[in-house]
Amino acid sequence: MTYVIALILGVLFGFSLNKAGLTKYHKIANQFRLTDFAVLKFMMTALVVTMIGVYPLRELGLITFPTVPATYIVGNLVGGLIFGVGMALAGFCPGTAVAGAGEGKLDYIVPGLLGFLVGAVLYGLTYDAVFPKISAIANYGSVVLPDLWHINPYLAVFVFALMALVLFYLIDRMGMHRKEKKS
Amino acid sequence: MNWLMTQIRKEEWSPYVAGVLLGIVGILTVVLAHALLGASGGFENLAAYIGKAINPANTYFNYVMPAGITYPVVLLVGIFFGGMLGALSSGTFKFRTMDSEQWKSAYGKQTWKRWLLLFVGGIIVEYAAGIAGGCTSGLAISGGMLLAPAAFLFIGGMFASGIATALIVYGKKY
Repeated sequence: MTYVIALILGVLFGFSLNKAGLTKYHKIANQFRLTDFAVLKFMMTALVVTMIGVYPLRELGLITFPTVPATYIVGNLVGGLIFGVGMALAGFCPGTAVAGAGEGKLDYIVPGLLGFLVGAVLYGLTYDAVFPKISAIANYGSVVLPDLWHINPYLAVFVFALMALVLFYLIDRMGMHRKEKKS
Repeated sequence: MNWLMTQIRKEEWSPYVAGVLLGIVGILTVVLAHALLGASGGFENLAAYIGKAINPANTYFNYVMPAGITYPVVLLVGIFFGGMLGALSSGTFKFRTMDSEQWKSAYGKQTWKRWLLLFVGGIIVEYAAGIAGGCTSGLAISGGMLLAPAAFLFIGGMFASGIATALIVYGKKY
């Protein structure tokens, strides 16, 4: 049953990536060139919608959160720094590449998916030398900001949603994005 | 109804609309599966088959991400078919080896170069996801939607180096 749910959730996730256009090289590249903010708009909207849905359910005691991704400051940050290089070079990340593979993109199916597999093998084989050290620094464990900072969860969600709206306003109305250069 | 079908058939939606859909999927994932979304984790479960063949005593593939058709793997299969469904709905499904005009203007039009860079990019991204504790899906989106600080550290790092990399790749054309 869990597999059926996982399959349906995966399909909807892949479908949303396709419709947001994130399976295309230029969408990812242009986010980093700051000429197209679709990636950030898509992500921030999703974050706000989900947190508005799940935080009240949690506060009412109807659900508990699944294991939250662990915070270990240096590892999260260094991982992100390396990740951004690969993502900007290739114009994909694991999720968008798999959804793009489903669209018939052979360059995603063959070298893309092979690259992820090789990367995962390399990581697993070097795990002992890398992860325990980097994850030991400033490790806060599986924690969410409202609990860590002892702030009211509703207030935290409200402030985050407000920040997202201000960001969208700056991008769309104030023209925060850069103009595409004619080549 | 016709209006709805027209909307669904569109190749690209507003990122806000697609984001609302993903947000709802995020709620369903937490409530129904008591789990999170992710993509890089599934590759690790699959890589475990190879990793264990190379080093049978390996810690990671024995205890942390063992081989198997796990929840993240099924999720990957779903993402694949979701992408396919999206492309079929807009009539854009097509087998192709490289289809980005912008890529050609940035890197040149040789297919081998794109294939090589996607392979290298794939390795970098997946390895980095291991260190960070997840990728854009499993950490940035899944962690962010629960307000985990890890997600925002990751997003900050990703944008900083992504922008720097794009600056180098595009040079004068940035």
